[in-house]
Amino acid sequence: MRTLLSFLLLALASAVAAISTSGNRLLVVLDDVADKATYSKFFADLEEREFKITYETPKSDSLTLFNLGERTYDHVLFLPVRTKGLGPNLTPKTLHDFVNAKGNILLALSANTTTPTSLVALLSELDITLPTDRNSLVVDHFNYDITSATDKHDVLLLPPPKPIRAGIKDFFSEGAGTKLIAFPRGVGAVLGNGQLLNPILRAPRTAYSYNPKEQAEAVNGDDLFAAGQQLSLVSTMQARNNARVTVVGSAEMLQDKWFDASVTKLDGQPVVQTFNREFAKRVSGWTFQEIGVLKVNWVEHHLEEEGAPNDSNPEMYRVKNNVSYTISLSEFAWDHWIGFNVPEHDEIQLEFSMLSPFHRLNLKEESHRLAAVHYHTVFTTPDQHGIFNFMVNYKRPFLSHIEEKNTVPVRHMAHNEWPRSYVISGAWPWIAGLGSTVVGFLGFVALWMYSAPVDAGKKVTVKKTQ
Amino acid sequence: MRLTQAILLLAAGAAQAASSWSFDDASISVAAKKGSDAIKEKFSQKTPLTKPVGLGSTDTVKIILTAKEDGKAKRPHQAFVTIKEQETGLEAPFPLTVKDTGKAVVQISQKDLPVQFLLSPKPLKASVVIGSFGEARAVNTPVFDIEIQTDPNTPLPKYEAPIRYGKKPEIHHIFRPDPQSPPKVISLFFALAVAATVPALFISWLLLGANLNHLTKALGAAPLSHITFFGSIVAMEGVFFMYYTSWNLFQILPVAGVVGIVTVLSGTKALGEVQSRRLAGER
Repeated sequence: MRTLLSFLLLALASAVAAISTSGNRLLVVLDDVADKATYSKFFADLEEREFKITYETPKSDSLTLFNLGERTYDHVLFLPVRTKGLGPNLTPKTLHDFVNAKGNILLALSANTTTPTSLVALLSELDITLPTDRNSLVVDHFNYDITSATDKHDVLLLPPPKPIRAGIKDFFSEGAGTKLIAFPRGVGAVLGNGQLLNPILRAPRTAYSYNPKEQAEAVNGDDLFAAGQQLSLVSTMQARNNARVTVVGSAEMLQDKWFDASVTKLDGQPVVQTFNREFAKRVSGWTFQEIGVLKVNWVEHHLEEEGAPNDSNPEMYRVKNNVSYTISLSEFAWDHWIGFNVPEHDEIQLEFSMLSPFHRLNLKEESHRLAAVHYHTVFTTPDQHGIFNFMVNYKRPFLSHIEEKNTVPVRHMAHNEWPRSYVISGAWPWIAGLGSTVVGFLGFVALWMYSAPVDAGKKVTVKKTQ
Repeated sequence: MRLTQAILLLAAGAAQAASSWSFDDASISVAAKKGSDAIKEKFSQKTPLTKPVGLGSTDTVKIILTAKEDGKAKRPHQAFVTIKEQETGLEAPFPLTVKDTGKAVVQISQKDLPVQFLLSPKPLKASVVIGSFGEARAVNTPVFDIEIQTDPNTPLPKYEAPIRYGKKPEIHHIFRPDPQSPPKVISLFFALAVAATVPALFISWLLLGANLNHLTKALGAAPLSHITFFGSIVAMEGVFFMYYTSWNLFQILPVAGVVGIVTVLSGTKALGEVQSRRLAGER
C-alpha cells in the first residue's frame, strides 16, 4: 500500500514538473510593473506552461542572476526598458556567464525605446549586429497593415516562416493556414556568418531599416543599415552548450492587442487573423527549451558475424568485421518526450573515424518505441588497424546538439584468422611438395633399413687391354 | 455596419489604386574608368531592357531616373536598385541618391558588388524599388540584367561559403583488394607435376635394384624394435600433420616429445640389428 502510494506521488510529481527540460524559473525584466498588463495574454500562456515568473525592474536590488555560483533563474525575458543601462546586476559579463551556465535569454526590442548598452554589447559578442543609431525602425512599403499603419508602414505583415533550407525542421509555421504575423514597430538585426546563428523570421525583400529622426526624408546610399532578407526580425543563437538566445525585434508583437488581431495586407485578403499568439508561444517555447531539445537514450554496437558472440558494446573489434550500430533518440515536445523523427531530406550520419572519417553512413530508422526512435546501420570495419571512434555528430538549426562518441580499438587479424593454406589454390603445388617429401622420406627409411644389396658378391671384371 | 466597412475598404483600395509611385526618364550608362560614357540606354517601367548590360572590372554603371508620384516628380523615401543573384537568391540593395526634385542617380561598379555576385554563372537581375509613406502605392519592377565581365588577367576572387550545419556526403571506405591466387588450372598442373616426382623416384629406385629382402630377417631378429621404430617415425609425420591441420604448438610439443623418446629408445635396438647385419657382411 505504501509503495503504491509513493509510486502515485512520484507519477504525480513527475507529471506536474514535466515542462521545460531546463527548469521553470523565469525572470522578466521590465520597466515598471504596469507593463505587465499589456502583455497579460503572453504571460498567462507562459504560466499555463508552468513557468514560475518573477517580475523585476533592472535597477532593483533583489535582482541577482547568480547565487553562490548557481543560477537563480533558468530563463530571462527582457522587455524594452527606458533606462540607458541595465544596472550593476545585469552587466554584459553577468549575462554572458548566464548563457555559459546554460541559461536561456529572450530579448524583445522596440523601435520606440533605445536598447540598453549591456544588451547591445551582449548581442555584438554573439555576432548579432543592431543598427548603430539607436532609433531604428523597419518599414516596408509593400507588406504593411492597411488598417493600422496606412501612413507610416511600420507594421509589417509576414507569412509564418518556412524553413530556409531543405532538411530543417519546421517549428514555426505549422498549422498557420492563412494567418499572418504582425511585426509592429520593430528593430531589424544583421546576423554574422557563424553556424550557430539562425534567423527565425527574416524581413521581406522590399523592407529596410531607417532612422526616423535623421532619415525622415529619404534613405541615402551610405547610411542604409540593411534591407531585404539580410534583416533578421527574429534571430536566434544556440550556443555549443545548448543555451539559447533569441532576439525578437518587436516587443509590441507580444502585446495583447496583436494577439488574434485582425489585419489587412496591401493586395492581400480583406481581413486576416494574426498568428502572433501561436508564434510567440513557439518562439518562447524554443528559447526556453520546450521544443527542439534532443536526447540520446543509449548507444549500442555489436559484432554482426555469424557464429561469433554478439554481446553489446564489446571492448575491441578486428579489421573487416561486420559491426551493427544503433542509437536511440528522443525529442521533447512541450511537456513529454517523444521519438525523434529526422526531418525529410535530412539524415543522421554515423562517422567511423580515426583521424578522418573512414565511413560516413546514413542511419536508417529501425524501430519506434513509445518515447524513442532507434536509428541503425551495419557496416564493415576498415582494413586499417587503429583506435577508431563511433561518432554521431548531429547539429542542425533549431535542434539541440548531439555529439556521441564511443572509442573502440580495431586490431589486426590474428595469426589464426587468416584463410588456411589448403583453401588457397595457389598453395597447392607447395602442399604437394610437402606431401611428396614426406612420402619420399618414409620410403627412403624403409629402403635403407630393410633392403639387401644388389649383387653383393659379384665381381666386376674389367678387361684390361694389355 | 459590415457593409459600410466593406465599402470603405473598397474605396480605400480604389483610392490607393489611383495614387502610386512610378519612375520616368530612366537610363543606364556604362562608363569605362577613363573616357566618356560608352553605352547609354533608356528603359522605363513598362519596357525593361531586353539585352543584358555588361559590367567590366573597371566599368561603372550609372543609373538615372526621376521618381514620380501620380505623375508629379517627388522625392520618395525609398529608392533602391536591388540586384539579385539568380543561383542563390542573394539580393543587395543600392540606394539611389535622390534630390528634392525627384531626380535620382546611383553609380555601381564591380567593387561595390558582393563577391558572390562576381562569381555567379548567370546574369544578375536588377530591379527598381520606389516607395514612400502614405497611401501612394509603391513600385517594384525588374528593369535590366547585368552580366559580369571578369578581367581574364586577374584571378577570380575567392569565396568560401560559410559553414552551415547539414548532412554531409556519404563516405564508404574502399577496401584494399583481397590477395588473389592464379587460376586453379595452373596450380593443379604444377601440383600434379610435383606429385608425379614421387612415383618417378620409386620407379627409378626399383630400376636400380631396390628391394625389401631383409624385412623378414629384420623382423625375425628384433620384431618389436623395428615395428616401434618405423611406427614412431610415421607417428612423427602424423604429429606434423596434426600441427598443420588443427593442433597448436603447445599441443604437439608433448606428443612430439613422447614420440621422439620412443624413436630413440626403439631406434637403438633397431639400428643395432641393422649394424649386426652390416657386420655380418650382408649389407
